[in-house]
Amino acid sequence: MKRQLIAAVGVAAMVVGLAACGSDAKKADDAAKPKDYNGKTLTAWVMDGSAPQTWQDGIKADFEKEFPGAKLKLEIQKWNGIGAKVTTALSEGSVDVLEIGNTQTAGYAATGGLLDLTKDKANLGGNDWAANLNNSSVFEGKQYAAPWYFTNRVVIYNKELFTKAGIAAAPKTLDEFYADLDKLKAVPGVTNPIYLPGQEWYTYFGLVVSNKGQIVKKDGDKYVGNLSSPEAKAAFEQYKKLQSYSNAPKDKDEATPAQGGIFAKGDVGAMIGLGWEAPAPKDMAAEKIGFFPIPGVAADKPSGVFLGGSNLAIAQASKNQDLAKGFLKLAMSDKFEGQMASTGLIPNKPSLNSLAVTDFAKAAIPASASGDTTPNIAAWANVENTPNPIKDFLTAALAGDYDAAAKKYDEEITKRLAQKQ
Amino acid sequence: MAVHSERVQTRSPLVGKDAVDPSQAAAVKGAPKNTRPAAGPGLLARSAPYLLILPAVAATLALLGWPLVKTFIISFQNLNKRQLIQHLTEWNGFDNYSDQLTNAAFWNTAGRSVAFTLVNVVLTMVLGSLVGLLLNRLGKNMRLLLSFALIMAWAMPIVASTTVYTWLFDSQFGVVNWLLSQLGWDSMATYNWYSGQMSTFFVITLLVVWGSVPFVAFNMYAGLTTIPAELYEAARMDGAGSTKIFTSVIFPSLRPFFLATTFLEVIWIFKCFTQVFTLNAGGPERLTETLPVYAYIEGIGNQHYGAGASIAVLTILILGALMAYYFRIILKQEDEL
Repeated sequence: MKRQLIAAVGVAAMVVGLAACGSDAKKADDAAKPKDYNGKTLTAWVMDGSAPQTWQDGIKADFEKEFPGAKLKLEIQKWNGIGAKVTTALSEGSVDVLEIGNTQTAGYAATGGLLDLTKDKANLGGNDWAANLNNSSVFEGKQYAAPWYFTNRVVIYNKELFTKAGIAAAPKTLDEFYADLDKLKAVPGVTNPIYLPGQEWYTYFGLVVSNKGQIVKKDGDKYVGNLSSPEAKAAFEQYKKLQSYSNAPKDKDEATPAQGGIFAKGDVGAMIGLGWEAPAPKDMAAEKIGFFPIPGVAADKPSGVFLGGSNLAIAQASKNQDLAKGFLKLAMSDKFEGQMASTGLIPNKPSLNSLAVTDFAKAAIPASASGDTTPNIAAWANVENTPNPIKDFLTAALAGDYDAAAKKYDEEITKRLAQKQ
Repeated sequence: MAVHSERVQTRSPLVGKDAVDPSQAAAVKGAPKNTRPAAGPGLLARSAPYLLILPAVAATLALLGWPLVKTFIISFQNLNKRQLIQHLTEWNGFDNYSDQLTNAAFWNTAGRSVAFTLVNVVLTMVLGSLVGLLLNRLGKNMRLLLSFALIMAWAMPIVASTTVYTWLFDSQFGVVNWLLSQLGWDSMATYNWYSGQMSTFFVITLLVVWGSVPFVAFNMYAGLTTIPAELYEAARMDGAGSTKIFTSVIFPSLRPFFLATTFLEVIWIFKCFTQVFTLNAGGPERLTETLPVYAYIEGIGNQHYGAGASIAVLTILILGALMAYYFRIILKQEDEL
């Protein structure tokens, strides 16, 4: 009967929509120590924008020389939606070494997916690591990762447009900065005095820090959202003022569309970003691009910044743990850590700081002194999961009622911080 | 549509019997009934039909049945990233379900999904039927042109068409805003369609209806070609206008078509994920999340796989409830036959 067929089609169409959330519970075999490395491939994930090409080529060559027969497969991952991808890879053991953001490391350490490196720390050169930069790699007293690099955002500006606007020197205070943006607004052809999308929560986080506030605070033995605090509100006023100089969408972040591409068009006065977001020479001549720290309220101190960074960790399920440790040791060596520093990133040990001499680094390193990061707790990763409530909060607050938005999203943040693991 | 071919089939043997062709009758008498290889030539011949449907059944079970069973099982587990990474199984009974059923966000999303489905299905059916009627009346060339346009819309990959719509309605570079401002509506020049719940739903609805109309239109057209022209003539003789012809001739003849197509559209639109998610990821402020998007964001995005699975199961149950009317009709008709 045709009607049965129709009914069957109906049922089939109905269930097609069910996403499979399954995972097969298969235990990873214990890695047997190989005598030689022939046919072994080490898979390492680095994030988009992290590792410069010279670093990638260099470490590949050195690794394959030190471990003859082994291959290094470097895979570049996008930040967007990385959480579920890392979980899957740690579960399946399909990655050996991986870069994990400093705000996410505690969360993954708590899952048991990362190899305990406490005993290897000294061998990796860990005794020289700066203590404040190593914090995020340590969870409940154990070392679960190696600190790789740190960085913070600065104002990246178009020198030509600043000259056209008659701005002689980089602003020292926020008020001077607002005045400069007003001057830029008057220059014909400037579409955005500053390009600042509504959901650039890292900049907002930094402003909260310089207002001596916190996005989440400790309440007894748990953490709760703190957007309703006067400090967070004061920071928001500064953020809102800066954002008002931008035509950037209020409901997007700096990555969609990539703000570097918009800045490269040449009609944007400035943007707030990381070193690698500045346009490549093929898109915009390097001498046109300048950097200065985000000014603070007083001239002697720049605004606070979000201290971003990444750690390198080894997967517990990796079948090549000895190779992975070998790779990690190479990456932590002065040679390769120094290469990270020379691109303008803050290296994991102070002795290499002198290598960070790019224009970006000259602006970023002084500002990093007034930087801070998110609480080093396992539940923090929940807050950054898409849709990130801090981003949605910024959009809502920019559209109008700060207090209502703060209350609503404080509840959401508190809920996420309390989620069972 | 399917019901139509059935009627055509039942009629043709009748026609054959009425006009008995002597040679044909002789042939029928001479040969044994060959409709079915009834009295068992071989095992192979008897099992042939089952073998033929085996690949389809196996594929359905593997690709649909198994994930469905897994989803159902997972919905009774506390499965987050820690459990997934360590391959732990933590049963938690109906916790995931009671969490969802006592959660205002779930009920808001469910209500939104039902309203979204209702609006889209009505629009799709009305516009699709009208286009189907148009196809039936057009001349050969125009019909070819329209069919081509419909097939193009139907065949376009969903992510591709969603990307096109995203750009059409982009606040700064979108052609829609440009057009509106050229027409003198200056405040629309940089209007952000994705900043509000209703304006985002407007774009999603446009996209979904645009993509669904071809299926309805072609079905309608196919159905219309089976209605004998005499019926229209008779209706006109009795003084029926176009509306009367539609309500008294076309609609009753095509009732099964309307029923089947409407319910297929209900299913497709209720579980529609790609358009809603790709266009604005359920934003702004999660106000355009429908149930499948909500299940994805809670399950995969927030890495609470057990909770996500329970939302998926509840989604199926809600869809089943929406479909109950349809299944009842089908079963009733089955009894009558």
